[in-house]
Amino acid sequence: MAAGITAMEKNMKRRQRKRNLVAYSFIAPNFIGFAVFTLGPIVLALLMSFAEWDGSNAMKFVGLDNFVQIFSDDRFTSALKNTIVYSIFTVPITLIMALGLAILLNQKIKGTNFFRTVAFFPYVASLVAVAAVWNMLFTPAKGGIVNQLLMNVFHAQPLKWAASSSTVMLTIIMFSVWKNMGYYMVIYLAGLQGISEDLYEAASLDGANAWQKFRHITVPQLKPTTFFVTIMLTINCFKVYDIVYMLAGGSNGVVNKSAIVLVYYIYEEAFRNWKLGRASASALVLFAIVLAVTLIQFKGEKNYAND
Amino acid sequence: MKSKKNNRIIGQIIVYALLILLAMMMLVPFLWMISASLKFNKDVFVIPFEWIPKAPRWQNYIDIWTKIPLAKFTLNTAKLTVIVTLLQLFTSSFAAYAFAKLEFKGRNILFLAYVATIAVPWQVYMVPQFMFMRNLGLADTHLAIIILQAFSAFGVFLMRQFYEGIPDSLCEAARIDGMSEYEIYAKIMLPLSKPALSTLIIFTFVNTWNDFLGPLIYLTTESKKTLQIGLKMFISQYSAEYGLIMAASVLSLIPVFIVFISLQKYFVAGITAGSVKG
Amino acid sequence: MKKRILSSLLAMTMVVASITGCGAAAEQAPAADTTAQTETKTEEAAPADNTQAAAETTETASDEPVTLKWALWDVSSTVYYQPLIDAYTAAHPNVTIEMVDLGSTDYSTVLGTQLSGAGSDFDVVTIKDVPGYVSLVNKGVLEPLNDRIAADGVDLSLYNGVTDQVTIDGSLYELPFRSDIWVLFYNKDIFDKAGVDYPTNDMTWEEYDKLARSVTDTTPGAEVYGSHYHTWRSTIQLDGILDGKHTIVDGNYDFTKPYYEMVLAQQKDGVCMDYATLKTQGLHYSAAFAQGNVATMNMGSWFIATLIQKIKDGEYTDCTNWGIVKYPHADGVEAGSTLSTITALSIPTSAPNKDAAWDFVKFVSGAEGAEVMASTGNIPAMTNKTIVDIIASMDGFPTDDASKEALITSHTYLEMPANDKSSEIETVLNEQHDLIMNEEVSVDDAIAAMNEGVQAVLAQ
Repeated sequence: MAAGITAMEKNMKRRQRKRNLVAYSFIAPNFIGFAVFTLGPIVLALLMSFAEWDGSNAMKFVGLDNFVQIFSDDRFTSALKNTIVYSIFTVPITLIMALGLAILLNQKIKGTNFFRTVAFFPYVASLVAVAAVWNMLFTPAKGGIVNQLLMNVFHAQPLKWAASSSTVMLTIIMFSVWKNMGYYMVIYLAGLQGISEDLYEAASLDGANAWQKFRHITVPQLKPTTFFVTIMLTINCFKVYDIVYMLAGGSNGVVNKSAIVLVYYIYEEAFRNWKLGRASASALVLFAIVLAVTLIQFKGEKNYAND
Repeated sequence: MKSKKNNRIIGQIIVYALLILLAMMMLVPFLWMISASLKFNKDVFVIPFEWIPKAPRWQNYIDIWTKIPLAKFTLNTAKLTVIVTLLQLFTSSFAAYAFAKLEFKGRNILFLAYVATIAVPWQVYMVPQFMFMRNLGLADTHLAIIILQAFSAFGVFLMRQFYEGIPDSLCEAARIDGMSEYEIYAKIMLPLSKPALSTLIIFTFVNTWNDFLGPLIYLTTESKKTLQIGLKMFISQYSAEYGLIMAASVLSLIPVFIVFISLQKYFVAGITAGSVKG
Repeated sequence: MKKRILSSLLAMTMVVASITGCGAAAEQAPAADTTAQTETKTEEAAPADNTQAAAETTETASDEPVTLKWALWDVSSTVYYQPLIDAYTAAHPNVTIEMVDLGSTDYSTVLGTQLSGAGSDFDVVTIKDVPGYVSLVNKGVLEPLNDRIAADGVDLSLYNGVTDQVTIDGSLYELPFRSDIWVLFYNKDIFDKAGVDYPTNDMTWEEYDKLARSVTDTTPGAEVYGSHYHTWRSTIQLDGILDGKHTIVDGNYDFTKPYYEMVLAQQKDGVCMDYATLKTQGLHYSAAFAQGNVATMNMGSWFIATLIQKIKDGEYTDCTNWGIVKYPHADGVEAGSTLSTITALSIPTSAPNKDAAWDFVKFVSGAEGAEVMASTGNIPAMTNKTIVDIIASMDGFPTDDASKEALITSHTYLEMPANDKSSEIETVLNEQHDLIMNEEVSVDDAIAAMNEGVQAVLAQ
């Protein structure tokens, strides 16, 4: 009896081992390249947050010094605050806009190909061009289109938009949604293709209205896509850099405390001041936040899978 | 009955009105690019912006080929983009299958490692990575750029999420029929994931095509440089030729649009046998 | 290849070991031992390269062929690289110079990355700005040049004191070959039309302010701006250091107040364009001047070459009649006091051919190089009356005597002198400059913030 169990266990173990091997063979081509050239340097870089290094002189272990330093640097704390504010607003707004756009462009109407391409455009267009057009609309001058609108229609004071520390983040958030929603729309479009028509037809027969179909078919069926979009959006928002540099950086390339974001701070520490340890420490903070958000999402996904 | 039809027509009108408004908003930057590409640099950023230049400078479209070796740069970029996209497509969809459909030891932790690394900004590990690659003798080679781009975690994550949407019951049925995992991947998963593969192609293509910092750090020999470095060559220390930059940018968008539009036909609903899930 | 993988793995373990090793050293002696071992191992690998390099260096003393790799930017748009190389190789036929263009926008980042570790094979690197120079010196990747300067008897006094401003702890790590000074550009047509006399080579800031206002026209749609300040802080903040009593790194910025007040008043009265608009619009100073409605603009002499070229190409049609005069100055300060920036050459510690590289650096930064530079219309760091004559006789340079005279300086001050904390100080100053010019913070508050911020940086 006991021998029988061990034989069965052995058999199961062998099967499990074989399954593991098959799985590893699937992962290997990507994972080996990824581990050696990306994961390795990343782990190293993150370890660097406990050291002082300028890229050339000997590395010096300094414990938590880097963290103490960055948290007492008000450029870092501003960057942290701005990044979080930016993400909190940009993630949900972009997500909703992208989903709306995808559903709109998934209709059976003429010219979808054209409209889809157009929606993707701001994402691929040269950032200089997109920013130039944006600044034409949202210029701080009183003669700007948006300011004219504010003054004549809403009888409000003209705003200085990207040029003022009180409105610069607002401007960056709006710009970012506009530029990036087409990108996430493409992902949602692909996700929508995976939903079977039959589901909608069955719902129609049951007398469901459009909102009910959206709520009870589209949203649950898109869960894996939404999981992906949310995580990628969060990560990309926390890594925002070029948009801020473009809109808020002066010709001397310096971004002020009112608009500085984490990656800009990292860039400044790493390549202006060559304090790679401090840059790494800042990145570790960024990493920890994103990891926490991701883990919460993962939990959510598992719950959904168990349903 | 009639009112229902009327409602439909009104609905369509609203949809179109919305789309046209959006399209206009999205297209303005493109028009700006074209307009700027036909100007002298000194007039590009002047306000009020002249949308239709009085004396369009078509010369810009000639100058970009002679001022820098743009043809060579385009060729390099095309080569890199094609190789990276193919590698990425293969390795990502392959690995993603295991993460989505196979049970194995360390699956969750490995997957988390993949996703988490996306969160680390490249600026942080750029220096150690460069030193490592240089020690391998890969500095100033196209191979370095290919290696950097081809094994990204992004593709694995994207593909895995789409595979998750494909019902497990399909795989189970195939397993009972005696198919190996490799066969299931090739014969069931791949054909079903065309929209996802198209998405991955589009994103990888755009990313590699527009990549700037990677080639900038790694490629120092003129003949190996890429399009995006070429664009920046029009920005010199004391002046920037935005007329030329925009001319080259407009042209560099063409391949991106060709890829995007030609993959549109795979964005067709209902290929998944969603009914299996029931 | 296999050996390479091995050695890079070793390098990686060394990096890891040096982190973990240091941490463990205090409580765990054996761990520290292994670290030491790994380090010696990798060092053993390194000397192999060094001996090779040493062998090459001795060879260069003779007429053996040698190739120097030179890191620089903007190869296609810079007119003097090739003439400099041609002049040098004509006298040294055994030397080949290979230019490596790292691009101008991210030059310091790329160069810093390339020089990280010890694997770079650049022999000569161009230094773009002082903060970039300081960071490379701090990284310890530049060769001090003092011994070579002393041995070859290079006369540093010919650089008009600039080398003193970039000497760090008694060591000099670069030799300048190009120097740009700030002057006042003006559009003669605007002055002719307004019937106002041209600016002169000896103007105080009050006279300049009055002059700019006298040619200003604020009619909407037909504005003429009496002055133009690019968004850099240098255009305003640094006007205050020309009396020689203040520097931009000494932690007290009260002296900038009158200049900010002057420009803010001009901005309010429409004498110059609005800073906030300029910043978001991203208008380049050259484009602003080229519109033909900017009467005067303070800018570096590098703009001379651009102006001449663009007028010749037919792009600039509204500012063809231009001139330059000396920078305005404070009361009681000698005319001809101005700001300057330098472009210099250095030798990396990892350079394979240091002796040959030094010979090239000496040539480019020396008298012969200076003449080549001047013949291309650029001001060399080693400048004198003949050099000025060469530049002023260039085709396209204004023909009036005042413009030629404007190139002669009495005192020059670097935009940013070498200081350990250059880049951190810049960050503080730039931020406050932006706040003042956007009129978000009063001049007094911003100056207080500058003082506090920079003193905090200096105290670190």
